Amino acid sequence: MAILKLHGGKQATCTRRVATVLHELQVPFELIEVDVANGAHKSPEYLKIQPFGQIPYIDDDGFLLYETRAICRYIAAKYPEYGLIPTEPKANALFEQAASVELTNFDPSASKAGLQLWIRKMGYPFPTDDKIIADNLETLEKKLDAYEAILSKQRYLAGETITLADIFHLPYGVFVTYAGSESDSVMNRASRPNVARWYKQLISRPSWLAYLDGVTTTTAY
Amino acid sequence: MVLKLYGMPVSTCTRRVATVLVEYKVPFEFVSIDVAKGEHKSAAYLQNQPFGQVPYIDDDGFILFESRAICRYIVDKYPAPAGTTPLVPSDIKGKALFEQAASIEYSDFEPYAYPTVREKVFKPMRNLPTDKAVYDSSIETLDAKLAGYEAILGKQKYLAGNEIILADLFHLPYATLLAKAGSDLMTTKGPNVTRWYNELCERPSWNAVKDGAKSFSSY
Repeated sequence: MAILKLHGGKQATCTRRVATVLHELQVPFELIEVDVANGAHKSPEYLKIQPFGQIPYIDDDGFLLYETRAICRYIAAKYPEYGLIPTEPKANALFEQAASVELTNFDPSASKAGLQLWIRKMGYPFPTDDKIIADNLETLEKKLDAYEAILSKQRYLAGETITLADIFHLPYGVFVTYAGSESDSVMNRASRPNVARWYKQLISRPSWLAYLDGVTTTTAY
Repeated sequence: MVLKLYGMPVSTCTRRVATVLVEYKVPFEFVSIDVAKGEHKSAAYLQNQPFGQVPYIDDDGFILFESRAICRYIVDKYPAPAGTTPLVPSDIKGKALFEQAASIEYSDFEPYAYPTVREKVFKPMRNLPTDKAVYDSSIETLDAKLAGYEAILGKQKYLAGNEIILADLFHLPYATLLAKAGSDLMTTKGPNVTRWYNELCERPSWNAVKDGAKSFSSY
């Protein structure tokens, strides 16, 4: 059986999300870099595989899949022993609720602010906008007040154990902190001690630490 | 105890859930939340839905919010009606392609369809000014994204294959408001998107709730 191939970018945000989950599940993978700088992801050949012209996608022994959360869910379903997607019906429903919260209440503002903050930190030559960053961080602060209510009653977003729904908050959950400092940022405020606790748990996971300098082919764990 | 759906009759997310309840012929009681009076932001409401949003369900004491999570729960709990295929596949690859389609809806459609509808439909309803720049850029991106849909739907009937799935139905509430927002993209972008969109609009489950969610005690 061929090693799983992750087609994406070494530093690309969504590629990092997939790599983090592959690492959580101890799945060997080969990173194949897509030449985004030269528009490889918009070529007719690429669009046949990913019709929206985005990275990443995976090739799992001939099975092609794109959309990072779909990829992560597919891999997690292959290795249910890790419990990243609970299977008991009510636990599964609460997982889906948490996964949807990430999509609807976190990602819209976190990805807009986070992407720009990441571009600035990496020194990439793309335009950024102070107002977009500020407005989205303001929205995110309010959303995280609701997260504080949830996380004051349970360790993680779907219950007492970590699930994909928590991990999906990476990498943007880290990038939005670039607007603050290590001791005080939107994810780490004294006024939201439970969010801070949860956030620190996420970023101390080996799967996140493994690719701090970018995603690399990982053949052994 | 019959399942209770708490929401606003014409809210997009409330109707998304109602559609799937009707698809699966699940009896439910609709309880209207007075959004105009801010009931969804009351301390009591926030106990059940900490983000102060509609809808949520109470299934015999089990509380669940987020419309797409509720829809998944219904499909997981109840059998598909006789003669239909489940709205979520159970085999590992079929499920993966379903998740890909569900992610497309949330990443490539909603972020552009929602602001389009918000600027030209929701804001005027609340006497708020339309931000033309946001509207124009949302429509432009939606147009580009629908090219991806046109390619996918040229090879298969629905977004994950040849059977309808939840992810197709998830598009209905915002897709059907685009015309009101001054965009005919769903029927002009391409023949494949048009065919898929028109088929979705004809679903009896959608037609039963499109003008407003309500209780269904029997089917």
